[in-house]
Amino acid sequence: MSSQPVPADLQRRLRKVCSSCSLLELCLPMGLEREDVEQLDELVTPQGPLRAGEHLYRVGDDFKALYAVRSGYLKTYIIDSAGREQVLGFHLPGELVGLDAIYPARHQCNAVALDTATVCRMPYEQLADLAAKIPSLQRQMFRLLSKDIHIGQILSGDFTAEERVSSFLLGMSTRLRQRGYSATHFRLAMPRRDIANYLRLATETVSRVFKRFQDEGLIEVERREVQLLDVPGLQRLCRAVPD
Amino acid sequence: MHQSVTFDAELLRAYDISGPRYTSYPPATQFTEAFGEADYRAAADASNDDPIPRPLSLYVHVPFCTSPCFYCGCTRIITRDPLKGRIYLDHLLHEIELQARLFDPDRVVDQLHLGGGTPTFLSNEQLAELLAGMRKHFRLRNDEGREFSIEIDPRTVDEQRMQQLADLGFNRVSLGVQDFDPVVQQAVNRIQGVEETLGVMQAARRAGISSINLDLIYGLPFQSLEGFSRTLETVIEARPERLAVYSYAHLPRMFKAQRQIDERTLPSPETKLALLELAITMLTAAGYIYIGMDHFALPDDELVLAQRRGDLQRNFQGYSTRAECDMIGLGMSSIGKVGDTYSQNIKELGKYQAALAEGRLPVVRGLRLNEDDRLRRAVIQQLMCHGELDYVAVGERWQIDFRSYFADALSRLRRLADDGLVELAEDRLTVTPRGRLLLRVVAMCFDRYQRAFPEMSERFSRVI
Repeated sequence: MSSQPVPADLQRRLRKVCSSCSLLELCLPMGLEREDVEQLDELVTPQGPLRAGEHLYRVGDDFKALYAVRSGYLKTYIIDSAGREQVLGFHLPGELVGLDAIYPARHQCNAVALDTATVCRMPYEQLADLAAKIPSLQRQMFRLLSKDIHIGQILSGDFTAEERVSSFLLGMSTRLRQRGYSATHFRLAMPRRDIANYLRLATETVSRVFKRFQDEGLIEVERREVQLLDVPGLQRLCRAVPD
Repeated sequence: MHQSVTFDAELLRAYDISGPRYTSYPPATQFTEAFGEADYRAAADASNDDPIPRPLSLYVHVPFCTSPCFYCGCTRIITRDPLKGRIYLDHLLHEIELQARLFDPDRVVDQLHLGGGTPTFLSNEQLAELLAGMRKHFRLRNDEGREFSIEIDPRTVDEQRMQQLADLGFNRVSLGVQDFDPVVQQAVNRIQGVEETLGVMQAARRAGISSINLDLIYGLPFQSLEGFSRTLETVIEARPERLAVYSYAHLPRMFKAQRQIDERTLPSPETKLALLELAITMLTAAGYIYIGMDHFALPDDELVLAQRRGDLQRNFQGYSTRAECDMIGLGMSSIGKVGDTYSQNIKELGKYQAALAEGRLPVVRGLRLNEDDRLRRAVIQQLMCHGELDYVAVGERWQIDFRSYFADALSRLRRLADDGLVELAEDRLTVTPRGRLLLRVVAMCFDRYQRAFPEMSERFSRVI
């Protein structure tokens, strides 16, 4: 962790971290009353930037806080007992990481920036106290935990490469649209080997499927830029995959 | 776009200024030693990360020649010592192995080019060893879609050698001719008979080589309209798929071999222009299509079809029909293009081999393109390949307002429009048939470095 402690005067100016944030309705404060958000402002501090490849936390680090991505992308992963990397997820602005560390009070995975990223730090003890006082905050935390578990279920299903890749692209599309970005034209921040690893496919299989989708006119790919040309076509391909 | 071309001597004289050939943008003169091996490794690594990584293209430089052609400006070494070739090959094989480690093994080599020097300085056994080394470490494409070419000195290849080259996987050859006029050949120290050359072409066809390119040069010592027209007649008769007609650039201060040429024997500027006109007139009358810069091709050649479709590419060898590849430069002085970088290997044989002996990649200079470079590269490539620009399409692709971003370029283009090189409409630029021989001048208007370093223009050859 490279970030310096924030001076007190700056901290006061940054107090409105949540109230003034454009991701308010996607992140932890979703559905909260204005005065409740202001209480969150009191405990959330911005942190970063992390450079590409820089870690936010590593397996075994003491669990002190949850983090929300503020800008950029994070990747979470573990190294399995055979020494292989296993990608757990990609996290966009407004999404939380660290939820899996609550019970053992130690981080269960590594979180690394895929490109330049900033995060919001939410000290867990204070957050838990606040959630006990604000029922809607508690509900939102349960929702986020539940969503985290659900993602794992999709990946463990028995799906074809086409189903996995189309579902991945549509998932990115939805998440980006929710954040006010284009749902049909975006840049993939993650290298293809991370996509392959995350989807439990061979790297060349991912490229072969992307290529096939391109040849079939479903997408157009130029370097890391992807354009979805036929969203209904992609939806048909992955109708077996639950949303 | 216009695939026709009009020769306008007055215009060509007026615009006979120095400029880059835009086989790369920014031109190689912008490469810097601040870019080194670590930067190259990082670029190669990142190039594996795209969802669909680009196919690979290998360029291999074989620098040796047994005798010097006096016009030559290539990086080469004159020797008859086969041991030099042997030692070089060993280092080259090592470099291939080091380079291959940087690229994911599922990336296919679509394109392979052996240039020189004289690649056929190496024996066929050595060339087979080179190809085997490449096959061992890279995944070389095997089907008809591959584009594996080799530059051939017709004086070094017979029927049997040609068949062996085809068996090694080469399906394209490029032959140096320059001029068949014996007086010219004598003056440039390259004696090469008509029968010999045509025999090699026939051998290539019999061996199943699908595309033959011939190189001609105009502006050589003692070159005359009569002599060059006989050369052109012979060449047209032989009907190679592609032809390159290069202008001889006499730069004796830069290229030592050129000091052997007596300047007084060079054709006058008027004759030189007339030679170019002759080549264009005869080739187009014979059915060849002018692609751009120095290149002509038969109407059913891929280059012509790609230009009509709008997906022609410019590369270090001229023009290509391939989707953009990551190009790996192998051998001394070779230039690579990986991701948004260019890189060049050490130009001196000893230092090149020493670097590899230490297990280092011999990258000595290069460049990482910024956003502005990438945009200008795309614009210049579009002009060099297709002779027209759609401002709206460029603006959308690069998220710019074309007219304000390129206000400087557009104001410079106005003079070119007045002179009839280009037509400027509200939202597009079209190079006219008269302007097609001056593509470089049009492209120079978009070249940021032309403005920043005007004194550098001395280092480029003349436009014509």
